[in-house]
Amino acid sequence: MTTTERPDLSWLDEVTMADLERNPYATYERLRAEAPLAYVPVLGSYVASTEEVCREIATSPDFEAVITPAGGRTFGHPAVIGVNGDVHADLRTMIEPALQPAEVDRWIDDLVRPIARRYLEQFENDGQAELVAQFCEPVSVRSLGDLLGLQDVESDKLREWFAKLNRSFTNAAMTSDGEFANPEGFVEGDEAKAEIRSIVDPLIDEWIEQPDDSAISHWLHDGMPPGQTRDREYIYPTIYVYLLGAMQEPGHGMASTLVGLFSRPEQLEEVVDDPTLVPRAIAEGVRWTSPIWSATARISTKPVTVAGVDLPEGTAVMMSYGSANHDTGRYEAPTTYDLHRPPLPHLAFGAGNHACAGIYFANHTMRIALEELFEAIPNLERDTREGVEFWGWGFRGPTSLHATWEV
Amino acid sequence: MTFAVTVGGRSVECDQDQALLDACLRAGVWMPNSCNQGTCGTCKLHVVSGEVDHGSSPVETLSDEERCAGMALACQARPRGDVELRPQGTSAARTANPLRDMVATVREISDIARDTRRILLGLNEPLTFDAGQYVELVVPGSGERRQYSLANTADEDKELELHVKLVPGGVATHGWLFDGLAAGDEVDISGPLGDFHLPPESEDDGGPMVLIGGGTGLAPLVGIVRTALRRHPEREVVLYHGVRGEDELYDGDRLTELAGQYPNFRFVPVLSHEPADGYREGFPTDAFVEDVSTARGWTGWLCGPPAMVEAGVKAFKRRRMAPRNIHREKFTPADA
Ligand SMILES: Cc1cc2nc3c(=O)[nH]c(=O)nc-3n(C[C@H](O)[C@H](O)[C@H](O)COP(=O)(O)OP(=O)(O)OC[C@H]3O[C@@H](n4cnc5c(N)ncnc54)[C@H](O)[C@@H]3O)c2cc1C
Ligand code: HEM
Ligand code: FES
Repeated sequence: MTTTERPDLSWLDEVTMADLERNPYATYERLRAEAPLAYVPVLGSYVASTEEVCREIATSPDFEAVITPAGGRTFGHPAVIGVNGDVHADLRTMIEPALQPAEVDRWIDDLVRPIARRYLEQFENDGQAELVAQFCEPVSVRSLGDLLGLQDVESDKLREWFAKLNRSFTNAAMTSDGEFANPEGFVEGDEAKAEIRSIVDPLIDEWIEQPDDSAISHWLHDGMPPGQTRDREYIYPTIYVYLLGAMQEPGHGMASTLVGLFSRPEQLEEVVDDPTLVPRAIAEGVRWTSPIWSATARISTKPVTVAGVDLPEGTAVMMSYGSANHDTGRYEAPTTYDLHRPPLPHLAFGAGNHACAGIYFANHTMRIALEELFEAIPNLERDTREGVEFWGWGFRGPTSLHATWEV
Repeated sequence: MTFAVTVGGRSVECDQDQALLDACLRAGVWMPNSCNQGTCGTCKLHVVSGEVDHGSSPVETLSDEERCAGMALACQARPRGDVELRPQGTSAARTANPLRDMVATVREISDIARDTRRILLGLNEPLTFDAGQYVELVVPGSGERRQYSLANTADEDKELELHVKLVPGGVATHGWLFDGLAAGDEVDISGPLGDFHLPPESEDDGGPMVLIGGGTGLAPLVGIVRTALRRHPEREVVLYHGVRGEDELYDGDRLTELAGQYPNFRFVPVLSHEPADGYREGFPTDAFVEDVSTARGWTGWLCGPPAMVEAGVKAFKRRRMAPRNIHREKFTPADA
C-alpha cells in the first residue's frame, strides 16, 4: 500500500545531532506516532523507529546490512556490521567460536569474577564511588581485553579508545548535499586508530609467528591453510567494531541497569537479596536504555514498500533499537524501569542475521559484575547529591553514576 | 489419578490433588521452598510443559502476568496432567531429606516462659532432617496445619523439640497446644520442611555466624548453633534472642552453658519493651549493628516475626553481609 497523504514532517528539519545525543526519545516518540519509517534530514537517512518496522526490516530478505556513512568513515571496510554474503559469513565464522554459549560457560566465571573483585577492592571501603568510571567500564573493557589478547593494554586506554571511536562513529550529521557536516569530528577517531595500530600491529606480528589462545590470534589463524593467516587489513575493521561496541556496551548495560534499579529502590532491594534476579534486571535495563541505541543500518536490495513507504532499491534505513524498545504498542509505560514488567523479548541486541554476536558473553559479563557488586556492597545507594545524565544517540548510557554506602 | 512430574531429569509421581512440591520432596527431589503456604514465593518455578491448577496461590505471590508466562508456585499448584518443571535459578539438584507423614506422641509439655511452651514429641521411627528445618502439625478436628521449627540437632532424631508461643484466639495455640493437649496424646505431623539449615558439613567452612531469633524464633537457632559449634568449635558465633520482657526469655542456662564450652560463642538476650537490670535494651537487630562493625564474610540467620526478619536483613546488609549468606525463616501467620 502507498499512502498518498503523508504527514507533515517538516519539524524534523529542526532536529540537530546535539538534540538527539542529549535525548533522542522525544523525537523518536513523535516519529513512532507519525511516521515509523521516515527520512530524517540531519542523518541523511531513513530511520525505522517502531518495534514492528525495525524487526521487519532487520529480518527481511529484501534488505541486507550496510554500515552508516560515519561508521564506514571510522571503521573502514570490511567491518562485520556492514558486509554481507561470503565476507559476512567468513567474519562471523571467525568471531563466533569464542562467543558460543558452551564455550563462554567454560571460562566466563574465571575471567570476569576476579576482574570485578579487583576493581571492587579498590573502592569498596571508601563508602562512595563513581560507578561508571570505577566499575562498569573497567570491568567491561578488562574482560573483553583479556579475551582478545590485549592484556598489556591498560583499561583506561581501552576506555579512551572506545570513547573516541564512539564520537567518531556517531558523528553522523550530514549536509543537504550528502557531505559530512563536521569532518573534523573524525580526527580523534583517526588518532585513536593510529594508536591502536601502533600497539596491535606488533602483537599481530607476534601472533602470526606464535599463535596463542587469544581471540585475535584465532582470528588470524582459524580456518586458514597451514602457514597462512588472514590479512590484518581484512580484520582491522572488525577489531574496531570490538574496540568500540563490544568494549563499551556491557559497561553501558550495567550502568543503565543500576540507574534503573536506583529509580525503584524496592526492586533494587529485591535484586540485591536474590541474585537470581540479576539477569532479569539486566534484560530490563538494556530494554529501558538500549546501549546500541541507533548504530546499525540495513539497505534495500530491491524496490520495497515498508510501513506504507515506497523505498527504491539501495535505500539505507537506520535501525533505532533504542526507540523500538520504547514502543508503546508493545510496552506499557516504556520510560519506566520495571523489573516485573512482562518479560517480552526486546530488540536491544538487534535481530536477523546481523544480530549481536556477543549476547551470551555480554549478558554473563554484566551478570557476574553486578553479582559481585551487590555481594560486596549490599547497602549500595545512589548518591542523590549528584545528578545522573545520559548521553548518546548511536550508543547510549549514563555518563556518570555516583553511589554511596555505609562502611 | 496420578501424573508424572518431571524436574531436572527426574520424574516423580504426583497425585491430582497433591502439591507439586510435596510430591518432589517426598521423592527426595530438592527444590527451593520456604514457607509451604504460598506466601513467600521461594518455590516459584517454570512449568515448561503440561498444565497445572494454581489452587490457592495468592496473586500477591504469583501475579496474573507470571501465571500467563507459565510460572507456578510449587507448594500450591496441582498437576492437571503430566508436567515438566524448571526451578528458577537452580543448578544441580540436591537430594533432600524425604518428607514423611508420621504420628507422634506427646512426651512432655512444659511452660518455659510467659505464654511459651516447650513440647517434646516422641517418634516411633527416627526422622532424617537438618537442624533448623520445621514440621507441620495437623490441628485435630479442624484439619488446619501449622508449622513449628525443630530445636533439635540432626542426631536428636527420635524426640522432636518445639517451642510454641501462644497466639490469643489462635486455632492451633490457643485452641489446642495451650488448651487440651496432654502428655500421651497422638499428633499427626509431616516433615521435615524448609531450607533454613546449614550447608552440608563438607561445604561449611567454619566462618563467623550471627543468629537473631525473635521470641520462639529462637527454636531453630538452638539446633543450628549447636550443630555449627560442634563442627567448628573455634568459630565465632553470636546469638541474639530478642523478646519484649525478661519473663519471655527461656533457655538462658542452656545457652550460657554452651558459651562456657565454646570460647568464641556469645549469647546476647535483648529486651525491647520492658527493660531489666543486666540486660541489653532495644531490638536485637539494632544490638547487632552496635556490636558488629563489619559482617563481610559472615553468614546470618534470622528467625521469628516477619518484621523482625526484614529488619535483620537490612541490618546485615548495612554491615555488608553478602545477601546470599543471609538465611531467613519467617513465622508468617497462616492467614497472612
Ligand atoms: C515456617 C514456619 C515456622 C514456624 N515455627 C514456629 C515455631 O517454632 N514456634 C511458634 O510459636 N510458631 C511458629 N510458627 C508460627 C505457627 O506456625 C503459627 O502460625 C502460630 O502458632 C499461630 O497459629 P494459630 O493457629 O494459633 O493462630 P491462627 O489461628 O493462625 O491465628 C489467629 C489470629 O492471630 C493472628 N496471628 C497469628 N500469629 C500471630 C503472631 N505471631 N502475632 C500476631 N498475630 C498473629 C492471625 O493472623 C490470626 O488473625 C511458624 C510459622 C512458619 C511459617
Ligand atoms: C550489552 C552489551 C551489548 C549490546 C546491547 C549489543 C548490541 C548489539 C546490537 C544492537 C548490534 C546490532 C545488531 C543489528 O544490527 O541488528 C550488535 C552487533 C554486534 N555485536 Fe553486540 N552488543 C553488546 C555487546 C557485545 C559484545 C561484548 C560483543 C563481542 C564480544 C559484541 C559483538 C557484536 C558483533 C560482532 C556485532 C555485529 C554482528 C553482525 O553484524 O553480524 N556485542 N550488538
Ligand atoms: S510460597 Fe511456596 S514455599 Fe513459600
